[in-house]
Amino acid sequence: MMPVSSDCQILKEDNVTHSFCGLACVGWLYQKIKDSFFLILGTHTCAHFLQNALGMMIFAKPRFGIALLEESDLSKHEPRLDEVISEIKRDHHPSVIFLLSSCTPEVMKVDFKGLAHTLSTPEVPVLFVPASGLVFNFTQAEDSVLQALVHHCPEAPAGRKNVVFVGSVNDSTADDLRAEAEELGIPVGGFLPESRFDRLPAIGPDTVLAPIQPYLSRVCSRLSRERGSRVLNSLFPFGPDGTRAFWEDLAAEFGMKVDLRDREEAAWKKIEKQTGLLRNKKIFLTADTMMELPLARFLKHAGADVVECSSAYINKKFHARELEALSGVRVVEQPNFHRQLEEIRRTRPDMIVTSLMTANPFVGNGFVVKWSMEFTLMSIHSWSGVFTLANLFVSPLLRRQKLPAFDESVWLEGVMPSAL
Amino acid sequence: MRLAFWLYEGTALHGISRVTNSMKGVHTVYHAPQGDDYITATYTMLERTPEFPRLSISVVRGQDLARGVSRLPSTVEQVEEHYGPELIVVAPSCSTALLQEDLGQMARQSGVSPDKIMVYAVNPFRVSENEAAEGLFTELVKRFAKECPKTDLPSVNILGFTSLGFHLRANLTSMRRMLQTLGIRVNVVAPWGAGTADLATLPSAWLNIAPYREIGRQAADYLESAFGMPSVTEAPIGVGTTMRWLESVIEKINLIAAELGSAQIVMPDPRAFSLDGLSAPSGVPWFARTADMESFSNKRAFVFGDATHTVGVVKFLRDELGMQIIGAGTYLARQADWVRSQLEGYLPGELMVTDRFQDVSKFIEEEMPELVCGTQMERHSCRKLDVPCMVISPPTHIENHLLGYYPFFGFDGADVIADRVYTSAKLGLEKHLIDFFGDAGLEYEEKAGAPSSNGTATASPETEASRDEGSESGGEMSWSDEAEAMLRKVPFFVRKKVRKNTENFARQNGAASVTADVFRKAKEHLGG
Repeated sequence: MMPVSSDCQILKEDNVTHSFCGLACVGWLYQKIKDSFFLILGTHTCAHFLQNALGMMIFAKPRFGIALLEESDLSKHEPRLDEVISEIKRDHHPSVIFLLSSCTPEVMKVDFKGLAHTLSTPEVPVLFVPASGLVFNFTQAEDSVLQALVHHCPEAPAGRKNVVFVGSVNDSTADDLRAEAEELGIPVGGFLPESRFDRLPAIGPDTVLAPIQPYLSRVCSRLSRERGSRVLNSLFPFGPDGTRAFWEDLAAEFGMKVDLRDREEAAWKKIEKQTGLLRNKKIFLTADTMMELPLARFLKHAGADVVECSSAYINKKFHARELEALSGVRVVEQPNFHRQLEEIRRTRPDMIVTSLMTANPFVGNGFVVKWSMEFTLMSIHSWSGVFTLANLFVSPLLRRQKLPAFDESVWLEGVMPSAL
Repeated sequence: MRLAFWLYEGTALHGISRVTNSMKGVHTVYHAPQGDDYITATYTMLERTPEFPRLSISVVRGQDLARGVSRLPSTVEQVEEHYGPELIVVAPSCSTALLQEDLGQMARQSGVSPDKIMVYAVNPFRVSENEAAEGLFTELVKRFAKECPKTDLPSVNILGFTSLGFHLRANLTSMRRMLQTLGIRVNVVAPWGAGTADLATLPSAWLNIAPYREIGRQAADYLESAFGMPSVTEAPIGVGTTMRWLESVIEKINLIAAELGSAQIVMPDPRAFSLDGLSAPSGVPWFARTADMESFSNKRAFVFGDATHTVGVVKFLRDELGMQIIGAGTYLARQADWVRSQLEGYLPGELMVTDRFQDVSKFIEEEMPELVCGTQMERHSCRKLDVPCMVISPPTHIENHLLGYYPFFGFDGADVIADRVYTSAKLGLEKHLIDFFGDAGLEYEEKAGAPSSNGTATASPETEASRDEGSESGGEMSWSDEAEAMLRKVPFFVRKKVRKNTENFARQNGAASVTADVFRKAKEHLGG
């Protein structure tokens, strides 16, 4: 493990912030794992969150639902889900049901493991996924989903050396990563998760786990512990810099020395217009999706001045290389939004990467913003994602240049009468 | 325990924040786990608020519970320091309500004056969005309204207008226009844009107007009993209803005018209510009588929504457009009795009362109405069934926050609703033509966008997808099966473009056909 460079201090605050809970991961995972059903044992709040904040209301038969705890259920010792499970099996025929916890049943101390166990059948396993906002932020519950899948990944025998990519990406990005690895001569064992439950990759002592999302530390360390797999310690494959390090380090795990310097240079060249715009721009990242560290690292290498990079959770081991690359940048874990707001008003950054909850108010305060959530939903991985990644950052800057001058004393009148 | 996919009404916390987000100087602190302030996004994204909604979370983490630590005092302290609100409303979420903590005592530990803190600890398992909003707003009115002298000129308060309300701004504008025409001033609009000082002066108005059954009426009742203020609680939906609403406002204002010895208000010429001051105030009465609207008289309509809009729209469709009501329903069980009493004689059967959208969808599928007036969920259900549907009720949706002036209240609102009926339903001659030339119409749709029967663009993902499928074959260059399969993984809406760019790339690089390898290289070259 790389030591964290001494000039990268991580400040830790009190987490008074604006972001989503772990249930948010349902938004992409139910679409990724196509033979799954995501069942949340929760309340009206959980249902309202999914349908409003994630805009997930307009599907006729979504493969997720909420087993709704009502007042009469609170006094019951253990909730009974048999009927709900039968209904799901009848209507959706899933190969696997993920049973997600939420805050209320956590407070009620529902025995989720026992519950999932009794509901499981050999044909349709029910897997417990801790996801409540008491513990998990936003993307973090994907880590729980993947951990729930660990038991269902076949054991790869010793001597079968290949790479398993860890993290959900769309099929097209997965194809790219697989092809790139094969081109470098790296045998590919598969992806965790695959797009179907019945196609999970085999994992064993000679598997190299290559995390492709920065919020999956626990499943990696668990697989390393339980199966003896090695975890790639590199940058995440975002941007020319991260992508080169990722593939070079991965090749090294397979005893190959590859030099991708030219490739990296070509990739930077391809986005020189964008980096030209980003150079010396002051950029502030508020904590939201936990993609913040690699994004800030790319921005720094692209010549931007990262004023602050904050994230809800930082793992000094799992994020070691990213932290090292961020040396000199102020990194904050579990930040305090009020403090950040004052900092932002003082330092006047050129762009703020921030959550859906705070983006428009920042614009109203005269700033240029980028929705942090977009980075979780766009193909920004590896070489083919470089262009998209760079464009995501420059598009708000370019758009602002195209718009006419704005007199807020005129055009904001009456938009929010409660504003003082 | 039941399996829910979608809910009509929001949570108690949502109701509370709708009131406080409407108000100046009032800040909500949720004592809740990470993520329970997701509703902030509904304000910043639907209402596009240019300032931060006054809403903070005192995060409850699992480890805090284990250690017995509460962050509430420090959050309240931070809110006081950074925002300096006049009032801090502290509320629990569903999970923290189970902890049975004394939020008042904890909030007072912050050192912030107890007079500034209001704990609103409704039971989130029993109370939903509207009831919580109504309850909190009434509490605030009780807390701040003070006896004060009446205004010299006739004036009203407009109560119940609340952040994320259905077509809120336009309805307010429509009401203001009518009141202005009558020469009546608006004293306070609340909670939308009101501060606590405004609530204090509520009793100086002559009359309260509380058109929403869901929010504002209880406060009007309180002001009536505590300060003797009369109120008008009908919603002016439709031309006839608006005329009666105006008469009722005038009558009640004139009673006070008589007591105060002020001048009586006389109903102005109807033209005074029109946008140009020269025309009929609404096009609906003539529109409903025209020959081309004859096909309406037997249209079978179904209405489903909250209480206010379900009642208003049923009456409008039957009384003013002459449509046949085959059923109606509401998701607000608490208001069902009121809706029933209002719609006595209007419905052929029982009022449907359910909060399960599947029940509503099933009814629509069985009855196949010619027009459904519902919520966004009915619009979705109807799309699958090819039943015309218009949205007339919350829950609110981004499409209910358009920039233009689309009120549901007043004369202007009657025009808007009638226009929507017209553009939603398939009409007389046009319908015959479509039925007759159905195939030709479809082909046209695929080539040149998808005009609906009445010419409005309705490009649904389904038609987009089929359009793309249709044009996918017949490229000049041959594609290997593998490359074709890779292309299928690209989202349908850019597939065509990706195909073209890939072929250009292949040509430039001297490839005769597109193989998986070429496709991948092209993708990298072209940037994903």
